Amino acid sequence: MGRERIVNVALGAAVLAAGAGAVPALADESTPAAGAGSSVSIRLHLTDEALPGADPYAAAWDTIRPSEFQLAPQVHWPDRIQEVTVKSVKVRGMHNGEELAMLLEYADPSEDAADAAALEFMVGERKAHFAHGQEMLQVEGGPVNIWYWTHAAGNAVDMSAKGFKTLRPQTQQDVSATGAWRDGVWRVVFSRRLNTDDARDVRITPGEWTNVAFAVWDGQIVDGAVKEQGSQKAVSSWWYVRAEPPPDASIYGYVALGIALAAGFEWLLVRKIRRGNAA
Amino acid sequence: MTMKNPLAKTAVLLAGMYVFLTWILPLFTAPLPASLIYLYLALTVAAAAIFYTMSGAGLDDFMGPIGRFLTGEGHAGATGTARLVVFALFPLLVGWQTYAKLAPSDMPPAENRTIHPAPPGEFVGLANPFPRTPGNIATGQGLYAAYCSPCHGGNFDGKGPASVGFNPPPANFSDPGTIAQLQESYLFWRIKKGGVGLPVEGMPWKSAMPRWEKELTDERIWKIIMGEYAGAGQSPRTWEEEE
Repeated sequence: MGRERIVNVALGAAVLAAGAGAVPALADESTPAAGAGSSVSIRLHLTDEALPGADPYAAAWDTIRPSEFQLAPQVHWPDRIQEVTVKSVKVRGMHNGEELAMLLEYADPSEDAADAAALEFMVGERKAHFAHGQEMLQVEGGPVNIWYWTHAAGNAVDMSAKGFKTLRPQTQQDVSATGAWRDGVWRVVFSRRLNTDDARDVRITPGEWTNVAFAVWDGQIVDGAVKEQGSQKAVSSWWYVRAEPPPDASIYGYVALGIALAAGFEWLLVRKIRRGNAA
Repeated sequence: MTMKNPLAKTAVLLAGMYVFLTWILPLFTAPLPASLIYLYLALTVAAAAIFYTMSGAGLDDFMGPIGRFLTGEGHAGATGTARLVVFALFPLLVGWQTYAKLAPSDMPPAENRTIHPAPPGEFVGLANPFPRTPGNIATGQGLYAAYCSPCHGGNFDGKGPASVGFNPPPANFSDPGTIAQLQESYLFWRIKKGGVGLPVEGMPWKSAMPRWEKELTDERIWKIIMGEYAGAGQSPRTWEEEE
């Protein structure tokens, strides 16, 4: 019987190992990489509540785990900058099916009138270059929609661009923003309807991925001049944002079906072996 | 106690393979992806099954314990309980896997970027028109320090002070997989036209590489290429080596 016991232990160990192996494998596939600046996407969490669109420090924000993205100096075109103040941004988002709110949080040692931050989105089906949708030589690119918040204005401007020197405020303004600086940290919340009737605006459809990028300007006065302004800013590459789709109950149906099929398979297998042994 | 049962031997072999592939192999080389580890384990099981079931007696030795485990024959007490636990866990594992596949994920769609796509025809086969003299190399390295090193690094390793945060990251020229695999004409194209000059498979919308033709003459670009190879300790790929 000792031999049987060894076999049983081995079988049990194999099942446990398979299960334990599956845990990290599944986790790798379904969650963005953790750690500073290594996120790949932002989830706009679906909520029934009113959005804290005007309050960057609302308690609701602290219930959401932020995504974090690294920023780089803007070296793509003149005037370049080699070093920037803000090295990364934390981003949280929520929506209620009608409106969305996105919170940008970043460390900035000083509160300055010229401090500013922006979100950039691709608009439409064509991919746009992250530098204001500038012209690509072999690929027909699309336009971008930029939400540009400045501390001085205390609000955001809804803008469009397709290439350098084309950035303009839109005639129809759909975005609002509120910023608050506390203890060396800016929190800026942008809000807008998920969809507007303006073809130049990004459309946010729950369940669909949209490309987003970030920019931050440190408006500190150094030697009589604003440290970062215009093209001299901290920028990110393109990342992804998706508004969480409404819960889909059919998933649980498929889970139940999977469990039933597996249990049925077990039962059939045991029955077949028992009949074979009896014969 | 020696293990004579082939099934137990297979289980021990499998555990040994798992430990080797997951923890020991990464001490010497890059860690294997989980999918590849599972493929190797599956091959191990298949090989053991074929080996032990070549003869009728071997088949009985191999399958017997599995059959008795499934039917519950001779399993009482603790092993009987273990059998029931395994039977209960299997459907739950299937259910959980189903959920994990269907549940909304924060992982965006996969992107397959071609790192070195084919250059446009007019750049193929161009040769550096400037001789590889110490003076030209020094000029190129000076220009490299001014224009390229902030991202690609003073050590040609892609780790310049402005490199952090770019996706894709700046190329590491000291890596044998970058400029050592390319011809000078390829570098001339990439420097001149920048990220926006890439074809669709190169995802030009993400690259921060400037379109240097707007700011640098062809002569300066050719000399930068010379300085880059010399500084990184690499040689350009040439047509002769291709044949």
